[in-house]
Amino acid sequence: MTVRVSLSEAPPAGRLAALMAWLGNPRVYTSLAALSLILVIPIVVDSPFIVHVFVTICVFAGLSTAWNIVGGYAGQLSLGHMVFYGIGAYTTALLIQHFGLTPWLGMWVGAVVSVAVSVFIGYPCFRLRGPFFALATIAFLEVVRLLAIHFHGFTGGSAGLIVPLKLGWTWMIFQDKINYLYIAFGLLLLTLAISYAIRSSRLGYYLTAVREREEAASAAGISNTGVKLKAVMISAALTSLFGSFHAMYLTFLEPETMFSLANSVSIAMFALIGGLGTVAGPLLGTVLVVPIAELARGWLGASANGLHGFVYGVVLVLITLTLPGGLAGTFGPRVTALIDRLPGRRVPPDREAPALRRMEGTPGEPVLETRDLVMKFGGLTATDHVSITLRRGEILGVIGPNGAGKTTVFNQISGFLKPTSGTVVIYDAEGRPVTPARADEYARLGVGRTFQIVQPFGKLTVIENIMIGAFMRHTSVDDARAAALRIARLVGLLHVKDVEARNLPIGDLKRLEVARTLATEPSILLLDEVMAGQNQTDTQKMVELIRTIRDTGVTVIAIEHNMQAIMSLSDRIVVIDSGKVIAEGDPQEVVRNRRVIEAYLGEDFVDAQGL
Amino acid sequence: MDVLVQLILNGIMLGSMYAIISVGLTLIFGIVRVVNFAHGEFLMVGMYAVYLLSLHLGLHPYVSAVPMVLMLFAVGALVQRFIIQPLLGADEHIQIFATVGLSTALINLALLVFGADLYSVQAPGVRQPLSIGGYTVLYAQVVMLVSALVLVAGLHLFMQRTPLGRAIRATAQNRNAAQLMGVRVDRIYVIAFGLGAACVGLASALISPLFPVTPTIGTYFVLTAFVVVVLGGMRSMYGAFLGAMIIGIVDSLSGYYIAPDLKEVVYFAIFILILIFKPTGLFGFGRGTE
Repeated sequence: MTVRVSLSEAPPAGRLAALMAWLGNPRVYTSLAALSLILVIPIVVDSPFIVHVFVTICVFAGLSTAWNIVGGYAGQLSLGHMVFYGIGAYTTALLIQHFGLTPWLGMWVGAVVSVAVSVFIGYPCFRLRGPFFALATIAFLEVVRLLAIHFHGFTGGSAGLIVPLKLGWTWMIFQDKINYLYIAFGLLLLTLAISYAIRSSRLGYYLTAVREREEAASAAGISNTGVKLKAVMISAALTSLFGSFHAMYLTFLEPETMFSLANSVSIAMFALIGGLGTVAGPLLGTVLVVPIAELARGWLGASANGLHGFVYGVVLVLITLTLPGGLAGTFGPRVTALIDRLPGRRVPPDREAPALRRMEGTPGEPVLETRDLVMKFGGLTATDHVSITLRRGEILGVIGPNGAGKTTVFNQISGFLKPTSGTVVIYDAEGRPVTPARADEYARLGVGRTFQIVQPFGKLTVIENIMIGAFMRHTSVDDARAAALRIARLVGLLHVKDVEARNLPIGDLKRLEVARTLATEPSILLLDEVMAGQNQTDTQKMVELIRTIRDTGVTVIAIEHNMQAIMSLSDRIVVIDSGKVIAEGDPQEVVRNRRVIEAYLGEDFVDAQGL
Repeated sequence: MDVLVQLILNGIMLGSMYAIISVGLTLIFGIVRVVNFAHGEFLMVGMYAVYLLSLHLGLHPYVSAVPMVLMLFAVGALVQRFIIQPLLGADEHIQIFATVGLSTALINLALLVFGADLYSVQAPGVRQPLSIGGYTVLYAQVVMLVSALVLVAGLHLFMQRTPLGRAIRATAQNRNAAQLMGVRVDRIYVIAFGLGAACVGLASALISPLFPVTPTIGTYFVLTAFVVVVLGGMRSMYGAFLGAMIIGIVDSLSGYYIAPDLKEVVYFAIFILILIFKPTGLFGFGRGTE
């Protein structure tokens, strides 16, 4: 069962040959063979107890896989996820009881209700970090559970609710338990397929980006809340479907078990044991741990009450201390490498996207304007009535002493800070003035920025980092990869493309910042000290790179402390000191400006030189 | 009017119970920066120990307070040393899972050893009503209130007046700077976690006469304690104390005026609203969601 489902090509619909080729991939056929064991073993063994164990495995593996979309991919640690399971269960059961609606339809109604609730919970809570998000989800679970007990006229309260026992496929209630397994297995396959599809799509990359660094994700044009909401909606719907099915299987619902905190913790735990954020991890964790619980119950009866939970808890603590990546995270790559040695694997060649066409537009027309930008932090005025106009096709250098407020200006013209007063105006493709509201909207309008303190997605490879940017203009993974490869070659990162970003030296990290931003195909590029920490050769390369970028029609505004480089590079220089623009003009003019020399070297120096 | 005063009085008494638990939770979060999801289970362990001491040695629960404080200090220190400390550099997720795992293991261990039955501790005299100006409180509740006040005052003096207290405050404010000044941060964390758990040791002795112990009693109290801690601004002992009083009063009033089984809904709703709209807590003692 140690197969990590991570296929690299999906079958184009309706083409038999392509399907056969897909099935011929060792990762595909070993995964499918391993999965089929879940169905084959109980059919062959043919014991009601074994069937029960496997139905339970399917349900909890499915719940855990669905949880992993939010908890693993998006990194939002929900510990109240059974709220959606309970909603699915109660909705389906009540629809049968009151309206005679078949659970096959009722489960979808439950899923819709769950999705609505997930947005209601997720939207306000996504701003909370780590433990506080977890606590808020627990609080929501408790509230719903208490309400379910309180409104007993509707839900049956603590006494419980019995699902009307009408046998047959229409009512999803069977004498022969093996039928339940077919449905549970089908739901599990659906959930795994969706989880895999997300993992290997733009949404999957976006979720990783948001989990790793929200700021850098915004700069790549990703709406953090939007992406997380998508994840929680999908997860809630799937969780709800399992709740509906499980209600039909258990035929008895009570708030304590339907909205259980212990089960919410369990499904998160299975995912952690198997490997948080991997496709196969949650299934793997469930397959390893659930049989222990069920066998303990089967063999030891009531005397073993608590034994399985005790084992769960101890295993969980041990995993956090010894294998924080979980089984799939720790051993997955090795197992995948072994599987790849089986016959049938073909690696598709890397495709590189062609160079972009030159950008349209009249050189010299304004593309970005700031009007009287004021930014106050408490008593400190970080920017003081800054008005700058950026003209198409130019390279504008921004210089000034440390703490002058240069980066604060950048943060305002890329949407990361809202000015206290004043406005930022961007001219869009049609020349209309626009003022976007959020950082990701700035990015999508074509304002790309780098961060002075580099913000790589550390656990992603270099090429994947660049792809996060490329996804802004490309929906498909293949196209984004091709575009990212082109950029990697352009900035000189091709030789490290498969290295995890956290292992790069600072020079490469600076280039990666530029690469990720370039991949968004910006029309305005904001560079924040990209030459700091670079050696002489690298600085020269960076200067050439910036010229090349400008030659494709991109307008560049760069903060820089490397005077030699910025003076040779810029068409125009703006000098900022104590939050104010103190000089503006062509480089030669600016270096002779008395106020500029004063700002850098002090009044005494100016006097001593007799300037 | 009489009813209202009596309810508020009940609320304050209830609040002092939450205060003792929440001050411990705040100490751990404020200093070690770890949310201890197993805090309630420490309480549960303490309550079973009080029960056993009373059953086998005939100790009065209040006498057990001393060994409980020492025992829970040791439990907390050991948990910090062997579970939390190795994970301090790890992802926040991993830290959460570690204490959640500990909580799960302890609840189920109790279930395995004691079963799901309720055990009540015999404590002669403490449930007697005391009449103050026409209003009634239990003797045990007054003890609780006095203990909560003494605890906060004692911790205040300890933090402000002793070198160790100063080192703890320094570590809480800036771990790296404290380390550079020669504070042995790892040891401070062990002590802080121990102190936080010791508060629960005190609570377990005081609560035992009022509530029967079950494996899940900790979950019941700790969820409320989390509400209190968030209300109080997460890192402030005084905030936690005030928050506990508020939640106690809310609990008492909503149980009477709304419905007894919806009182938790009321304060969980407050909890969610505070988390979302005022993450620095009601009194501005805290520093928000970071």
